[in-house]
Amino acid sequence: MMPSRRGFLRAAGTVVALPLLESLGMHRTAAAALAPVAARPKRMIFLSFGWGVTRESWFPKRGEVGENYTLPLGLKPLERHKQDLTIIQGLANTFSNEAHWGSTFYLTGANRYAEPGQNFSNSISADQVAAQVFGQNTRFTSLQLSCRKAEDSGHGPGLSLSWDGRGKPMAGMENPVQLYHKLFSETKTPLEERQAMLDQKKSVLDTVLADAKGVKRGLNYRDTQKLDEYYQSIRDIEVRLSKEEQWLTVPKKQPSKPVKLPNGELEGYEEIKLMYDLMVAALETDATRVLTYRQPVDTLLQSIGTNMTAHNMSHYSPGPRMDVSQARDENQSKLLAHLLDRLKAIKEPDGSSLYDHTAISYGSNINSLHYLSNCPTVLTGGGAGINHGRHLVMKEEKTPLCNLWLSMLQGVGLPVQSHGDSTGIIPELFA
Amino acid sequence: MNHLQRVFSFAAALCVSFLMANNPAWAERPTVSMPLSQKLFFENHCVHCHNEDYPGGEVRLDNIAFSIDTIAKAELWQKVLNALNSGEMPPEGEAEPSDQEKTEFLDYLSNTMVTARAKLSDQGGVITMRRLNRREYANTIKELLGVEVDVTGLPSDEGSGTFDTVGSSLFFSSDQFEQYLEVAQVALDRATVEGEKPKFYKVHTEAEIQANRWVKKQLRERLLKDYKAARSWMAQKELPPKAFGLLDENDVKFRLRRWEEEGPMHGQYLALPHSDTGAYLTIYSPYKEHKVSIYPKIPNGKYRIRLQVARVEDAPLDQSFVEAGYSSNGGKTFNIIESFQVTGTFKKPQIVELTVEVTSKDDRTISFRQKQQNNKSAFFEYYRDEVRRNGVGPDPYIWIDWTEWEGPVLEQWPPMTHQNLFFRGKKAKFTDDYAKDIIARFAERAFRGQEPTEAYLDRLFSLYQSQKKLGADFHEAVKLPLSVILASPSFLYLVEPIEEFADYDQQPETVAGVNSEGQKNPTRELSSIELANRLSYFLWSSPPDAELLDLAKTGQLNDPVILSEQVDRMLFDPKSKEFIEGFFKQWLHMERLEFFQFNPDLYWKFDDTMKNAAREEVFQTVDLLIKDDLSVGNLLKADFVVINNLLADFYGLEQAKENTFRKVQVPPDSPRGGLLGMAAILAMGSDGERTSPVERGAFVLRKMLHDPPPPAPPNVPQLNRLAGQLHSSRTLLSAHQEEAQCAQCHRKIDPIGFGLENFNAVGQWRETETAELRRGRRVVRKKEFDIDPSGTLPNGTKFDDYFEMREAIAQETDAFTRGLVEALLEYSLGRPFGFSDEELAEQLVADAQSNEYGFRSLIHSIVRTEAFQLKK
Repeated sequence: MMPSRRGFLRAAGTVVALPLLESLGMHRTAAAALAPVAARPKRMIFLSFGWGVTRESWFPKRGEVGENYTLPLGLKPLERHKQDLTIIQGLANTFSNEAHWGSTFYLTGANRYAEPGQNFSNSISADQVAAQVFGQNTRFTSLQLSCRKAEDSGHGPGLSLSWDGRGKPMAGMENPVQLYHKLFSETKTPLEERQAMLDQKKSVLDTVLADAKGVKRGLNYRDTQKLDEYYQSIRDIEVRLSKEEQWLTVPKKQPSKPVKLPNGELEGYEEIKLMYDLMVAALETDATRVLTYRQPVDTLLQSIGTNMTAHNMSHYSPGPRMDVSQARDENQSKLLAHLLDRLKAIKEPDGSSLYDHTAISYGSNINSLHYLSNCPTVLTGGGAGINHGRHLVMKEEKTPLCNLWLSMLQGVGLPVQSHGDSTGIIPELFA
Repeated sequence: MNHLQRVFSFAAALCVSFLMANNPAWAERPTVSMPLSQKLFFENHCVHCHNEDYPGGEVRLDNIAFSIDTIAKAELWQKVLNALNSGEMPPEGEAEPSDQEKTEFLDYLSNTMVTARAKLSDQGGVITMRRLNRREYANTIKELLGVEVDVTGLPSDEGSGTFDTVGSSLFFSSDQFEQYLEVAQVALDRATVEGEKPKFYKVHTEAEIQANRWVKKQLRERLLKDYKAARSWMAQKELPPKAFGLLDENDVKFRLRRWEEEGPMHGQYLALPHSDTGAYLTIYSPYKEHKVSIYPKIPNGKYRIRLQVARVEDAPLDQSFVEAGYSSNGGKTFNIIESFQVTGTFKKPQIVELTVEVTSKDDRTISFRQKQQNNKSAFFEYYRDEVRRNGVGPDPYIWIDWTEWEGPVLEQWPPMTHQNLFFRGKKAKFTDDYAKDIIARFAERAFRGQEPTEAYLDRLFSLYQSQKKLGADFHEAVKLPLSVILASPSFLYLVEPIEEFADYDQQPETVAGVNSEGQKNPTRELSSIELANRLSYFLWSSPPDAELLDLAKTGQLNDPVILSEQVDRMLFDPKSKEFIEGFFKQWLHMERLEFFQFNPDLYWKFDDTMKNAAREEVFQTVDLLIKDDLSVGNLLKADFVVINNLLADFYGLEQAKENTFRKVQVPPDSPRGGLLGMAAILAMGSDGERTSPVERGAFVLRKMLHDPPPPAPPNVPQLNRLAGQLHSSRTLLSAHQEEAQCAQCHRKIDPIGFGLENFNAVGQWRETETAELRRGRRVVRKKEFDIDPSGTLPNGTKFDDYFEMREAIAQETDAFTRGLVEALLEYSLGRPFGFSDEELAEQLVADAQSNEYGFRSLIHSIVRTEAFQLKK
């Protein structure tokens, strides 16, 4: 078996001489190979789609494990990246019981009933664990992307894939245009005026806190907890504002290949593609290092020429619905292949590519129909030091999905001991 | 517990024992247990592996506790349930329990889990302070500022499995704060004006000008030109199609065919009688939409649009409706503002008027079209069929004589919305004192009777000052603090402090409402202002109006007679629609109507206008029950329906002159009358193509018989044995009886659904069912089945058909009332219905009985309860 090149990179620490890697089968230009490599920052991308996949044609055969496996129909468009994929079967969120919630607990593994006296609770998502460290030196601590009408796409409650440290939903940007402006548009407002506006925003926060103080008087324990959500969100904004202040004089970086914005509104296939392009551009310009994306499924179907709603499709059986379900798989895989093309094409200063330093997961909390076990999972990217090119089937049929998130977090070098209901890492990934 | 529950529900069989523990927190709290009778199942099938000595050993069931009183215990039982449901346990090679044994065990366990989960998340009657939900927020802004704002950017607050009024499920995020500020700024901009009164415009247009110009242009410049080019290419042999401006031979064929298909219709359109004085609307080509455009550069605001319309004499009813809306995407997306029936004739045309709120440059074109599906390919088929039939195309039925728009419509200048804020009028001096007054006045109104603190008002004032320093004018400077008020906690939350217990120890709770010291949350009566707020958000989803607030401030609202008068006044106010829609949409899960797309090939008539009417039928029926204080039992079965003409046509009932909703008596043998006969409810029990007896059966159990089946478990193997074959729904579902995992619930659910099989997927009556096998849009095979609607209700009552089943269900008014009461309590109190509410619910059902189940009386009873008038 090929030695784990990226696992090696990780183990070897910050400076690695590349000629050694060359001998391990890496294709790099000679010039880049000779230069010593300063550690490039790690990045993480988490992608999720609701409603799962077509279970009959998306998963590789269970008998074909390891490197020698055939990509099934649903993943076929990823053929050119096969060496860089890991497909895992046998992962599930232990506490999931909601057959229409494809993303709510996907990255958290929480038990909705964990809090006494509540019929819903959640906990921090894996991306936010990473953002606490990786977000310190970037303009945006993390970015959450979502889609319009997420419930039609089977994602379940929540505003994005991300849940903050208190298990509260974090808003996601639903429109690529909005994301574009956030990342790359420079305001023409003069600096002093922007500083004044920031100060103004701070006074706005002080003002509402003055009212909150009045409200807090005489509240019982539970109501105080509720009001704390308000306090906490004001504190979050304060933190963000002070970060904005730090970055006030730093111009926004533009990507090497500018992203073209469409004139009209995009929906479905082109929308996802544009979001992917913007994600790559965000990483390239180091605007952020942690991204989540809750992708649209319903509009994807419309955009590939079907008249079926995603929920109709998800209840497929052989016939037109299954055809649409398979077309969905294929198009989603095409899009993922495009994302990987882009990540590989962006060169880092040391000659490696953005792909090499990014850990990417792609999947859903729903397998298909109402099945919640064997969550469809594809891993890719060199960021977490995973030894790709294999199809893995977990020995334990319900290995916690959180074991994967823990593996990824540790893989990118974070000293995290557990996440959600994790019982440990998945050692096979690095073997 | 009423009779029905005793018979129907396994919940009754659960051992709900009342354990009196030393901890006062656990007093009065029932413990949920699996019945010990099921221990044998464990002994026989689980314990000989899942014990201490078991090699894996991680799941021990030999010492499993049968009482489920902690989350950890619930999780272990959930594991057992999941393993049995997925078929994972017992493992292969082990003795399988008999089907009957397994079905019974699963039935007990899944129902026990529902009760246990409910118990473990019980709030013990404690109401968590809640934020205004999205609906209430929009309504509150509207009441305060007099303008409507788009709130779709805010989280919807629905879909957490409970009502959007339940405080513990309403979260707050930092992005939300900024969205509130943004929405408030938009609303304030809309409510205020600058400068002089804008000019009033009125533009009258004869419809045929636009229509004929368009059709002629299409005919000459598109169809005929292309046709001629195609013919010219065919008439010679040397030159390629490109030389004639055509792509290739396919393009030639396409253009010839288009001429054949669309040419005659265009020609005939221009020759139709009255086409020289008005515009016909056609369902496909040539003239689908008539557009009215308000000038782009004139101010935003209210505009009135009028049009004179008529219908062709023999127009079928469902083709005599016009939809006004915003069209985009070439008509694929059409957001309906209003649909109306055309009753005017050429001799006596009718004038229709509607008012629109223009808010930007992008919403100034209003389109009018004949009622139809938003699915281009669907009416293309219809169009082709008609071309095949008469060589021309579908007959147009609607004719527009002229259109007119005028505005901006202003009652006065500056408008009331402006004067409500800048209350000193035009001649006021823009001083700091005036700003202070404006801010204080608005804060007081926005806080619904709560006094803002001095410190807060000072802060607001300094925001105004700093805005001025930055160069803003008076109006702009004042608007900032005003918008901040609309994002402040006193505005956003329904605050009910426990002042007299201000130093109440802030110990964390061990159980809802009881802290770690064992102290119970202090309970107190609501102040009359708080009562006014609770009442008004219950019945209006809006803030209290001046009358209600005045009565509260003077303390009169606590007088039961006055309170009762106010409840009546509020229920008769149009704002009560907010309650009816807010509650029933969520209670009946009417979002399901949007969940599936109805196949236009099968259900051409069930378009958006029809769907809106069907939805409205539910609300209008409830509205009548409330206003006339009729029995809620009318929702089970009634001798009347509340419908408009479109629904009358759909149900085959008598037409009226006006298309408004009205009460119509139905004969005893009519399938209509009550929720079960409503198109909306029946359509929700389908997947847009076929009926779903499962959804329908579950709906009846959940909502009508108050005997909800446990939620559909995940990971149950899907039954595909019969997929891809042509069978009746009943045969397809017979597979449910083959597996214990399915049978445990479906033996109760499915038969009720079979009883409703005489209604197709959109609720029309049928005697036979057609099963189709399709490839794409094409029907490959088709088969008809006779419908067998017979079955048995869970209480053992046998029925032969729908009518007998409806009769049996109609006997269960108490069960239905109980379910409704629980939901109403949850909605109005903003907290989950809990075990401590048992007595309260029983009392309310008894009250309802003595009031002949009148709906309005029931709402009065709820408002009178202690629970409604206490802060706990």
